[in-house]
Amino acid sequence: MMRGFIIAGFLTVCWVAANAQQNYDASLIPKDLLPYASSVVRNEEVTIEVKDLDNSVYHIKKAITVLNKNGDDDAHIVIYHDKNDVIKSVKGIVYNQFGKQIDKFGESKFDDVNIGSSSALFEGMRAEHYLPAVNEYPYTIAYEYEEKSKQTLNFDPWIPNADIGIAVEKSSFNFICTPDFNIKYKESNLPTGVVTGKNAQGQKTYSWQVNNLKAIKYEPFSPYVKNYASSVQIAPEKFEYYGIKGTYTNWKELGKWISDKLMANRQELPYQTIEHVKEITKDIADPKLKAKKIYEYMQGKTHYISVQVGIGGFQPFLASEVDQQSYGDCKALVNYTQALLKAVNIDSYYCIVKSGRAHNVSLLTDFASMGQADHIILCVPFKNDTTWADCTSQTIPFGYLGDFTDNRTVLALTPEGGKLLRTPKYPAPINLESRRAEFSISNSGELSGSMTTSFKGVEYEDRDDLMKETRAEQFKMVQKKYPINNMDVDDFDIKQDKSFDPVTTETIKLHAKDYATFDNGKFYFLLNPANRETYIPKQVRNRLTDVSITRGYTEEDEVTYTVPQGYRLEKKVLNEKLDKPFGNFTATMELKGDKLTYKRRFQLIGGTYNKDVYPDVVDFFQAVVDADEYNVVLVKTNN
Amino acid sequence: MKRPLLILFFLLNALVFASAQDFPFGVVTTEEMNMKNYAKDTSAHAVVLQEFGKSSINIGSDDNLKQFYEYHVKIKIFDAKAFNKGTVKIMLYSNDKNDAYEDVSNIKGVTYYKDDNGFTQKAELEDKKVYPVKENKYWASHKFAMPGLRDGCIIEYKYRVESFRWYKLRSWEFQDDIPKLYSEYEVHIPAFFNFNASIKGYLKLTKNTSSVESTCFEARGAKADCSLINYGMADIPAFKEDDYMTSPKNFLSAINFELVDWQSPYDGSKHKETKEWRDIDYSLKTEPNFGGQLKRKGLLKDKVAAIIAGKPDDMAKAKAIYQYWQKWFKWDGFWSIYSESISKAIDKHSGDIADINLSLATALSTAGLNTEVVLLSTRENGALNTLYPVIGDFDYVVAKVNIGDQTYLLDATDPLLPFGVLPFKCLNDKGRVFSLDKPSYFMDMSLPQREKSSYILDVTLQDDGKLKGTLTNYSTGYEAYKRRVAIKKFNSIDEYVENLNGKLPKWKFTKSEVRNLDSLDMPVVEQYDVEIKVYDKLGETNKATFSPYYIHRMTTNPFKLNERSFPIDMGMASEDRYAITVHLPAGYMVDTPPQTMAISIPNNGGKYISSYEPGDNSFSFVYLTQFNKSVYGTEEFPSIKEFYNKIIQSQKTEMVLKKK
Repeated sequence: MMRGFIIAGFLTVCWVAANAQQNYDASLIPKDLLPYASSVVRNEEVTIEVKDLDNSVYHIKKAITVLNKNGDDDAHIVIYHDKNDVIKSVKGIVYNQFGKQIDKFGESKFDDVNIGSSSALFEGMRAEHYLPAVNEYPYTIAYEYEEKSKQTLNFDPWIPNADIGIAVEKSSFNFICTPDFNIKYKESNLPTGVVTGKNAQGQKTYSWQVNNLKAIKYEPFSPYVKNYASSVQIAPEKFEYYGIKGTYTNWKELGKWISDKLMANRQELPYQTIEHVKEITKDIADPKLKAKKIYEYMQGKTHYISVQVGIGGFQPFLASEVDQQSYGDCKALVNYTQALLKAVNIDSYYCIVKSGRAHNVSLLTDFASMGQADHIILCVPFKNDTTWADCTSQTIPFGYLGDFTDNRTVLALTPEGGKLLRTPKYPAPINLESRRAEFSISNSGELSGSMTTSFKGVEYEDRDDLMKETRAEQFKMVQKKYPINNMDVDDFDIKQDKSFDPVTTETIKLHAKDYATFDNGKFYFLLNPANRETYIPKQVRNRLTDVSITRGYTEEDEVTYTVPQGYRLEKKVLNEKLDKPFGNFTATMELKGDKLTYKRRFQLIGGTYNKDVYPDVVDFFQAVVDADEYNVVLVKTNN
Repeated sequence: MKRPLLILFFLLNALVFASAQDFPFGVVTTEEMNMKNYAKDTSAHAVVLQEFGKSSINIGSDDNLKQFYEYHVKIKIFDAKAFNKGTVKIMLYSNDKNDAYEDVSNIKGVTYYKDDNGFTQKAELEDKKVYPVKENKYWASHKFAMPGLRDGCIIEYKYRVESFRWYKLRSWEFQDDIPKLYSEYEVHIPAFFNFNASIKGYLKLTKNTSSVESTCFEARGAKADCSLINYGMADIPAFKEDDYMTSPKNFLSAINFELVDWQSPYDGSKHKETKEWRDIDYSLKTEPNFGGQLKRKGLLKDKVAAIIAGKPDDMAKAKAIYQYWQKWFKWDGFWSIYSESISKAIDKHSGDIADINLSLATALSTAGLNTEVVLLSTRENGALNTLYPVIGDFDYVVAKVNIGDQTYLLDATDPLLPFGVLPFKCLNDKGRVFSLDKPSYFMDMSLPQREKSSYILDVTLQDDGKLKGTLTNYSTGYEAYKRRVAIKKFNSIDEYVENLNGKLPKWKFTKSEVRNLDSLDMPVVEQYDVEIKVYDKLGETNKATFSPYYIHRMTTNPFKLNERSFPIDMGMASEDRYAITVHLPAGYMVDTPPQTMAISIPNNGGKYISSYEPGDNSFSFVYLTQFNKSVYGTEEFPSIKEFYNKIIQSQKTEMVLKKK
């Protein structure tokens, strides 16, 4: 398992003006905003004001109408903060469906809670939160607050319509700063661009606004939300970060600042450790194998724990501290591994990445800013062979990233400054789960035989949970993994080849009574014993987003059954062949004498496809599910 | 001198007066360092070598009564899968708003590991690596990670907690998700205090000694001896959860304490806490946050009068009040059996379980209805102690109204519950029924509550290979509640149907109607005009196979393992019935009818029946699954697994249609 870290700073929060003049009668919501909406943002004004390099203030004003119980969560006010932030002027009003005030509240109603993950040691993230109790729908809450931050490096992006089920009548974003404070901004999917100006105090102003955004609904295979939702991101030129000053206009300079200010002098190691890694690698000539040895040493000695105590959560622990404590977060473990590699003269890069399996999100090549990433990985630039590693797992092979950080643009901290690099891609043919089984079916319907499966590419990790378990445990775990009823495991073996092209291989000897049903002179059994697809993405009316398949994969199954003699197939044989741009599938069967052979190949191909192909995707999965449910009927030959 | 009193509900076979004590800190043996696995359970990724806890009641530095708790453990970690044992969280409670939490001190930790050269080394936990966090208004925590973890290491740590909750003697869990070689808990109870001790779980104590410590307690001149009791258990297996099981708390071996009575060391005043049900009855009746709230009829008089105005009978009154309460309140997510003030809660439209349901009970009795309240322990909270009353075992309260000879349990915290139906979490063990004027009594909470669904598919097979007709689905009892929850997840019935149809690409729902969505006491009825694609085209061959299991065909057994350690908890009895009628096109007939069968679970535990009825150019097929019990014993596991196996086998068979 690999894990990221939480970026300290505040996440997007909603902020509203309780404007007594405004009419929050729910019937005034435009009718075309109601479909798929559980709540409607009536008016939102997000303002960030930079008063000084170490003083920025967020003003949030928001009025949201909750249409039904499903929208209650959208009215839940959550103000994220850490110990450096100051929250003030919290107030709000609750209105009934006719826009009549029924209640009001202030900060005293809010609870302040720790929101770190339960497995973390310390994260320092907190939230003040409050959910007004209203049982009559619709209702509206209008609230506002102010939050002060002591840094100007990292600004919350404005994404007015990121969540499912919320429509937006109006939302605006204002950035106000002193005349000498320069920013860059990144607009995405906005109907109208920025309006700039100067206010009465002589401050520079930047404003964005959106109106009448319909509620987003869930669509399977939708792209990453920032790819289609409206948003604005802000990056400063000159900034101050908890006492450290800096300037950047591109990734190179930002990377340089991180290296110089946050990373400098953090890789010193005890003499014994340096001697030890030199000793264990002294007989290895190939630098890549040397690095592998050191990586494995690091894996055996450390483990991941989330601890966010450095400056704003961006600075790693000292390498010497990891050496002593044997734990650290992703930053600390990469920094430590770098230090170990340096002891044997191998250079490496600390790389900042946005992690996640669902989407491979790249850093924006044309817009440098802090806060786009949440994880750190290691890059070792061997000649003609750049190698990547995640340092938060005790088990994965050196050079293996898997689906957590694959195929995306990351920021590498090089001696020359920040540099954008691309992590390796795992295409469909590489991500291969391949299975061969030899079974026989007895006259009583019992299935027996053996089955060997290999897992490659991102599938390599598929059986990690079985490793380091006793055989008895493995028998039970594998029983739960397969959909073969009454499966009894007679023997089990699993191997992981941790080379640069890692493979996991699983061999099972099994038997399962009543696999086939005998009734009225016929045998019935499922042709596909081990790998039946059950997922069909749901049909979507008027799909809005393109079809995004983040990562492809391939499955190959070949099963040979020896069936009781003297039977023939009663119904039409399975012969399915599908070939689509996003995937292909074949499933065939053949009975020769008493040998029934079943072959299945399924491939999904990663990529982004026009939303018009979506009905084909649904049909494709439906056809696969149907084929996988194919029921063999064997009938006596003399019938 | 006072003699310590302690009621023990297990036999003290051997009273050993040797003074037990904590094991020494900082000692590991070569055998422990070299252990490769735990012979009695080789699947364990870690094993507790020794564990010792000690609780005592004494005077704190502020001269107030305190409970002192010490914990000390030594754990062998075989591999990285158990590294989570090295991250420790000490929870500290607060019951006031001034941030006064329980106090932890003397945190000490050390890891023994073999270094790169095979020598045993020690890594000590540093004080600055202990992270205090205020979690919320009730809880704070101190968290630390043991340094130097690696495969084969041994961790050892200890700490001390000083708690103002002297009256809540710490319970002790002997069993955990890793095995333990030995675990011991020692309690020192001054004679001023009298606790009940109860053991949960199926494991036996291997040590159970008690002795008298003389003059161990002194407060402002008052002196007392203490009971010194040691509870020890050796060779404790790891606790492993099964699927479909009730709360693990019901099975984990642990010891719990409940304060019975006490005498103030300061002024000699005597206080009775719990002893017998009549004592509890009395204390609840007089408790301002319980009985006190139930008596506030005056508060609700006008409100209730308006709600029941014009209602002809008790049933109508009760329903009107219940529905009004469901609408009025929004549950704030907190659980409690005490309400600080029902009037405050009513004003806020919001409250915890007790605020809402105690005020409901008060309203019902204000209306002149025969009303009681039922205290219960939710499924998550585990089973009740049945040996003697423990008020602390309860975590939930509901109202009970008696109309004629019928009794109805009411929980107004969920607006979708029908009158007389409790949420699943409440269906656990027994509940204790209280009223202001009668002694309390137990009632069984495994109510005759059922979930029942019935699908009727009436379709005609057409030349284009499609089945066309209607699907009707009745959801009754708890199933109706679940269906309403599912439907209300969508903003409208249209969106619900769109989603439902979206998940069934071969089906087309051309018309839909959902009835009784808001009539909570009626079954939810869904009716759809449907088209289902079966064949690309009819008549390509003379014969066509047909599976009548159109809805919820079972292909995979939910039970896969061969053994079972704990009872199978299905929650409640259930019935699913599917009736399908197919009208065949002219020129077609049934060649092979579907297999029919009738099987049952022994002792009237349940049944599966399928039946076939040929008609006039049509046929009807019905299959039905019924589970009559909510919980099945481990000895019934093989028959339940086989029951599913038989259903799956039967549903694999297909029928054949042919051209005449």
